[in-house]
Amino acid sequence: MDKKTAVYICTGCGIGDALDIEQLKEEGTEDFTIDITRDHPFLCGQEGVDLIKQDIEGEGINTVIIAACSHRVNYDLFNFGQGVIVQRVNLREQVAWSQPAGEEDTQMLAEDNLRIGCSQAKDTELPEPFKAEEEYSKDILVVGGGLAGMTAALETARAGYQAILVEREDRLGGFLGKMKKLITLPYKEVSEPGAEELIKAIEDEPKVKVYTSSTVEKISGGPGLYTVEIKSNGNGVSERVGAVVQATGWVPYDANKLGHLGYGKFKDVVTNVEMEEMAASGKITRPSDGSDAKNVLFIQCAGSRDPEHLPYCSSACCLVSMKQAGYVKEQNPEAVNYILYKDVRTVGQAEDFYRKAQNDGNIFIRGEAANVGEEGGKLFVEADDELLGERVKIEDLDLVVLAVGMVPASKPDTTPRIKAPADAEDADEDGMIEVVPDSGFFANSALNLDYRQGPELPTLKYGFPDSHFICFPYETRRTGVYSAGCIRRPMETAKAIDDAVGAAMKAIQCTEATAEGKAVHPRAGDTTYPEFNMQRCTQCKRCTEECPFGAINEDEEANPLPNPTRCRRCGVCMGACPERIISFKNYSVGMIGNMIKSVHVPEEDEEKPRVLCLICENDALPAVDMAGIKRMKWSPYVRFIPMRCLGSMNLVWIADSLSRGIDGILLLGCRHGDDYQCHFIKGSELAETRLSKVSETLDRLALESERVKFVEVGITDYHKIPAIIDEFMETIDEVGPNPYKGW
Amino acid sequence: MENMVNYDPSFAEEVFRDVDAGDEIKMCMNCGVCAGSCPLREHMDYPPRQIFGLIRAGKREEVLSSKAIMLCTSCYTCVVKCPRNIPVMDVMHGLAHYALKQGYVPRKDTASFGKEFWKQVYRLGRIDEKDLPRRVFFSGGLVEGIKAMLNFMDIGLRLMLHHRMKLLPERKIKGVKSLQKMLDKAEGLGKGGAAA
Repeated sequence: MDKKTAVYICTGCGIGDALDIEQLKEEGTEDFTIDITRDHPFLCGQEGVDLIKQDIEGEGINTVIIAACSHRVNYDLFNFGQGVIVQRVNLREQVAWSQPAGEEDTQMLAEDNLRIGCSQAKDTELPEPFKAEEEYSKDILVVGGGLAGMTAALETARAGYQAILVEREDRLGGFLGKMKKLITLPYKEVSEPGAEELIKAIEDEPKVKVYTSSTVEKISGGPGLYTVEIKSNGNGVSERVGAVVQATGWVPYDANKLGHLGYGKFKDVVTNVEMEEMAASGKITRPSDGSDAKNVLFIQCAGSRDPEHLPYCSSACCLVSMKQAGYVKEQNPEAVNYILYKDVRTVGQAEDFYRKAQNDGNIFIRGEAANVGEEGGKLFVEADDELLGERVKIEDLDLVVLAVGMVPASKPDTTPRIKAPADAEDADEDGMIEVVPDSGFFANSALNLDYRQGPELPTLKYGFPDSHFICFPYETRRTGVYSAGCIRRPMETAKAIDDAVGAAMKAIQCTEATAEGKAVHPRAGDTTYPEFNMQRCTQCKRCTEECPFGAINEDEEANPLPNPTRCRRCGVCMGACPERIISFKNYSVGMIGNMIKSVHVPEEDEEKPRVLCLICENDALPAVDMAGIKRMKWSPYVRFIPMRCLGSMNLVWIADSLSRGIDGILLLGCRHGDDYQCHFIKGSELAETRLSKVSETLDRLALESERVKFVEVGITDYHKIPAIIDEFMETIDEVGPNPYKGW
Repeated sequence: MENMVNYDPSFAEEVFRDVDAGDEIKMCMNCGVCAGSCPLREHMDYPPRQIFGLIRAGKREEVLSSKAIMLCTSCYTCVVKCPRNIPVMDVMHGLAHYALKQGYVPRKDTASFGKEFWKQVYRLGRIDEKDLPRRVFFSGGLVEGIKAMLNFMDIGLRLMLHHRMKLLPERKIKGVKSLQKMLDKAEGLGKGGAAA
């Protein structure tokens, strides 16, 4: 496209007072071909926007550079449609509000910012949304026919989309179908489980196609283009779907590992699941002799919140035990129930049911079970009563129920072993190695994704699929695959229903966005996608290995096979590629390189250092904006270059900058580790790993390693921004100017 | 183990049934706010929460002979703060009355003070500021009484100086008969624990 570029400088919000606008117009744009340069005192007002629109219509302007406020505000006002490239330059938060007015350094910062923006606009091309050759499907595959799966399928159908429900067993229902009663909202009384009604609703719904006694053999393709091979009653069936909801649920923790609580040793020690099945089948009896159970003791957290077994709380077992205590009382009003607990966790309104259980006369004992034994045909439990500070003994028990926690159904019993890579240190004699817990191989197969990075959803902790717990719960590390219900985290029925609805809606969104060639969360609506210049590929596999979403498959010769619909557009592949063959229409190694080159580096004797800050635009850049809004001050020598994700940082930029005389490079990215905040999961971690290899570059240039620094910044850390920058500037002061200046 | 407590639900049932406000204990979730907010906590052998725990465990002897149940000064802090709206104070009073009725006297002086106080209110419809202490002081014998009187002489003289304590005996209130009727009826409403 032939570019006709206009620069608009807003002089409102204090920008006009801080800067010499005429000089900025001249200096900031002199290296570029700019057709029109204007300033306006109130660009985001109607008059200002109209001014731009007039130029677009009258003068044929198609590239608009707006030097005003942060790109995080007024983006709706400065949207001139598909055909116009809009480039924002920050003169407000990062210049006028955070630097002293009228100073030379402030002026130079503004000019550099405008140059960076002009350079970026010059290299930006209009994106063309990806369009696959095949037709896009908008059907949703739901794997798992329990409460969450059935709800997800039904909600999908009610929203007008076709759902395909695959259930391993011969009938729908899952654990819900095995329950006697249900305790759910509003948590006053138990109610009927309602599995039959739900199954009936599914059967009556023409938009739900049910496969029972079926498993998913293979899912290939990507969002919008998945081909699912289902083995149904021994026959192979193929379906095309747009997105997947995994609701494969949970299994109870293996009580055979709880021998210390008498399981397996005494017949009358049962799990809560066995208790529920017994209650549902009629009568609660002692398995040892078949007589009615009268005195029952429930051991809460049996194996849960225990580093030896399940380290987490399953959040539903407390309610379940209270419900089951109700069964016992219903059967025999004289019955005595003891509930031995560590903490009762009945969250929110569920507290009402706890009150009811107390009021019904169940005896709650706070403490931990120490021993379960048998005396004269009856069980006894010894426990450390936390309240009395003593060991107590509860005798004459007919039944002891272990409230075991939930384990994701995808978690295998043992850690699988695979053939170790040649350089692995902890491989065994046979050259085998334990699978890394958060790789896709570490899961029982339910999805069988045909992905180079593994057949299942990668997990983060305890075998649950990795997703962002608070910000984007249903998203997994596989675009288009959403997890719902107890496969995602342990939860009770009311929350599983919410989960299923949420995941179904996300799946629908995904099919719609994909069909338009748009990215899903977190770069929702982005129409660019990575393009590979395959002639120069060296089959190094870095992109296929590092993609956090497993978007890139590989052929036998290790050539990358990109799947644009699986892509979240983070640019991690672009940062990984040593040949720099991966680029986006509006984001590429060359573009950022040119932006860095557009920064004017003063001579050494001017004593004005230049520091480049490669900054993550998801968390760190908003933090800088917030610091500016709070009128915090920092060094005027820093130039911010926003990154889609710090994982897209390519080391060549660092080498280029340092060889041009830039004194230091600061990288601001998200927190990583188990409690990562990276929107692309691994981006900031990868950036730091890559940075550890930068020392070679620095050595080659004979430069000090202190010149490059990585800092983790959360969005709430805005108040630390000035200190981080000042500290780095001090370091740069100490190591002195870059000797490559002026070369 | 030697001093292992055997859980025995029968005492809890007795408390639920026979003690005024006793069934409120069911709702206790052991948060300990009552103990944490009690101004007399440090003087108690068992804080209220532990009393409740002992009841659940069936430790009848420990509960009914504990000093704590008689130390409550009815400041209402625990009642205000209890997240489960348990009238902890009422439970403590209920237990104290029940203990006395069952022949336990965890704190002799508190018991005799309570007894005299109640008698006087019943007889006069009010408290006689000099008669009540006199009776309490001398309930333990002549020598004890004189010692206690000398101890409180300072306070007594000042009370008189400020006309807070009359030299002459207090008179009955008007309609004391009606009050007595009311008190008799109230007693009948309880679970029989209230000591007259």
